[in-house]
Amino acid sequence: MSKRKQPARAKPAPEPTTAQPTTAQSTTPQPMPAEPAPAERALSTAPDRTAPDRTAYDPTTPDPMTDEPTTPAEVDYDDHDLLGQADWVIGGEAARKARQQGLYAGYVLFLGALVYGLPIVQAVFRTSDASSLGDQLSSPEAIALLVASVAALLGAVVFAGRFRGPVVPPMPWIDLVLPVPLDRALALRRWWRYAAVGGLFIGALSGLTIGAGLAFAHLAGPLTIIVTTAVGTALGVLATRLWLWSQVRSWPGPDRGLSLLWRVPDALRELHAESLRAHSANTSTMAGSALTGNLRTARLALTRPIRHGRSARLRPGRPFGVLVRRDVLGLRRTPGAFLSGLGLTALGGAIVTWAFTQPAAPSIAATIGLLPLYLGFGAWAEGLRLQADNVGTPSLLGTSELTEAGAHVTVPTALTVLVLGGWVGVAAAIGSLPASAPLSLWLVLVLVVAGNVLAAFRGSPTFMLRPQMVIAWYAVPAFTVVLLGSLVAVLTKAGSYTWLSVVSWLVYAVLAWAVSKVRRLTYLHRA
Amino acid sequence: MQMGAVAVLTGEVRAEGVGKTIDETTLLLPTDVSADPGECIVLRGPNGSGKTTLLRIIGGLLVPSTGTATIGGREADERDRTVRAAVAALLGAPTTYRDLTLVDHLVLIDSTWGGDPATSDDRSLALLDRLGIAHLDDRFPHELSSGQEQLFRLALTFSRPASVVLLDEPEQRLDTGKRQVVAELIRERTESGGTVVMACHDPELTATLATRVVDIVPAR
Repeated sequence: MSKRKQPARAKPAPEPTTAQPTTAQSTTPQPMPAEPAPAERALSTAPDRTAPDRTAYDPTTPDPMTDEPTTPAEVDYDDHDLLGQADWVIGGEAARKARQQGLYAGYVLFLGALVYGLPIVQAVFRTSDASSLGDQLSSPEAIALLVASVAALLGAVVFAGRFRGPVVPPMPWIDLVLPVPLDRALALRRWWRYAAVGGLFIGALSGLTIGAGLAFAHLAGPLTIIVTTAVGTALGVLATRLWLWSQVRSWPGPDRGLSLLWRVPDALRELHAESLRAHSANTSTMAGSALTGNLRTARLALTRPIRHGRSARLRPGRPFGVLVRRDVLGLRRTPGAFLSGLGLTALGGAIVTWAFTQPAAPSIAATIGLLPLYLGFGAWAEGLRLQADNVGTPSLLGTSELTEAGAHVTVPTALTVLVLGGWVGVAAAIGSLPASAPLSLWLVLVLVVAGNVLAAFRGSPTFMLRPQMVIAWYAVPAFTVVLLGSLVAVLTKAGSYTWLSVVSWLVYAVLAWAVSKVRRLTYLHRA
Repeated sequence: MQMGAVAVLTGEVRAEGVGKTIDETTLLLPTDVSADPGECIVLRGPNGSGKTTLLRIIGGLLVPSTGTATIGGREADERDRTVRAAVAALLGAPTTYRDLTLVDHLVLIDSTWGGDPATSDDRSLALLDRLGIAHLDDRFPHELSSGQEQLFRLALTFSRPASVVLLDEPEQRLDTGKRQVVAELIRERTESGGTVVMACHDPELTATLATRVVDIVPAR
């Protein structure tokens, strides 16, 4: 309970009588009522209409008995009780039930990890040469990669916190409850707890799944399960706290240091109402855009306005060259996009190259590496997406759609070739570069380019907007890349070159499909 | 590589009985518009009468439900690269590159239309200067006020070559002085043989520029 300065009457208020109005319209001061216990409130089906309304209290209203103005005093103010009342008014019984849904989601997640996660992790580490894989997984390179991946994950959490932190109450709560002089840590604690419990649970579950997978694949002992679960839990907690810290830092304030990581109530008190409103609005925008397939809006909600690198100029020249230079300039002005692309491509490229060059690598490794590789290319392909955004508007550029698309894939393709080339060089240096690896990596590169063109020019959904269908619609390009890329890996590893040539035609068919999508989206918008 | 060899269309704009109906809603009643090179046709009418719809049909962005629209004798269809090469249009907000400054945008457009690289910067800065926003050349589009944004959109439209220019209320959000600058740009375009068709609510601008006024009758 906290004490707040609250104006009060100088004299005891008269007892309310049945003749006196007790609704919000009343201007007659009322004594504080005895509050119902939380359990009682949860069980009731409607707000207590006989309860006097504090909002009717007006300190400047003269006492009706004496006609004298009131004077300020100090009274007890129960924050928990006020929060309970606000909860009831805003959500009623439905809000309590909605919170219980969170427990059910956790249960489903646990079952999902058990049924799908564990077999997948086992498959990841399943190999014909367990001892070599064990040696490679405990090598300094593998550990460095693991540390880099964890660091990238935590970096992504910090990045996300700038736009969408863990504490995002609904708009009515921000506008109607937060302005009340309650302790902000208390008013926001619920949303923090949701995120904190979620982070802890996901971290523990991930650690448990990975540890169990390693143990079942006989790459580690049973003790590993405990260790990975503990490490996963700790990382989950750290990630959630970094997420909150990043949300605090998204708004100017006096206390934004790293010490907020262990001073959670203070971090919650640092959250500004305007920042919370912006994060809540971002959430609505992203969810709405994602559900309707409006990717440009979702993307712009995530990006920060560019404000630097303005002194650099776009050098004029021939159309293709100037479009390529446009993309280079764009990456110079958005170093975050460049670095995230570099991180993802380096990670994905390392795993994919390992899968193609090392006999001990499990077949599924390529599947895992393809996704970051695809996403990394995408981070560098903003020009391609901007071209697709412009479809349907009067043309400003004097180039054909294919020339423009070709120019826009040049920079990301060149950067991806550099990264993959670097990893192939490393593989060659350690003396393990099968002749089939460069050919397979070439097919992967074509797939990644085609997949990103497909993704940029996917247009808008033309079906009934159901969440499952929208997710499937989003996933088609990435799924195509991962599926065909995995097939390439499996066939390369098995040495089935006849089938590999068949799959290579499929890969080029995907590229042709992507080119046709560019044409179709450019021209079929007219109606 | 540019758009390849495309025929250069003259600025003859013909819209004969063009109308647009979607389901049971009529956006534009059948309307005739004709404009020849050197002319500035002003479309006038109350809000919702279909001026923008008519401009979109002339620009080949929308298929008319009735009638036909041609540019230089060719069906107005934005998919036709010859039509695209002939028509510059400011119909709504063009999507800009969030990572390019104002002058970068103009240089990019100029280069893709085969402008001389040696003088591209000068042309771009001169156009910004004409519109009074040369001092904002190193700003990004999201750093502009609404009026400055409109001037930038006009700069984008006028920076590319075209025999036909379509403008939807070019005067919006501009002060009197800037409206005169825009009037001057439009006049120069028609004097050099271009055709301008624009929707306009400013009587002064209409009186200054219009060789003919077409009143659009609202559907209801």
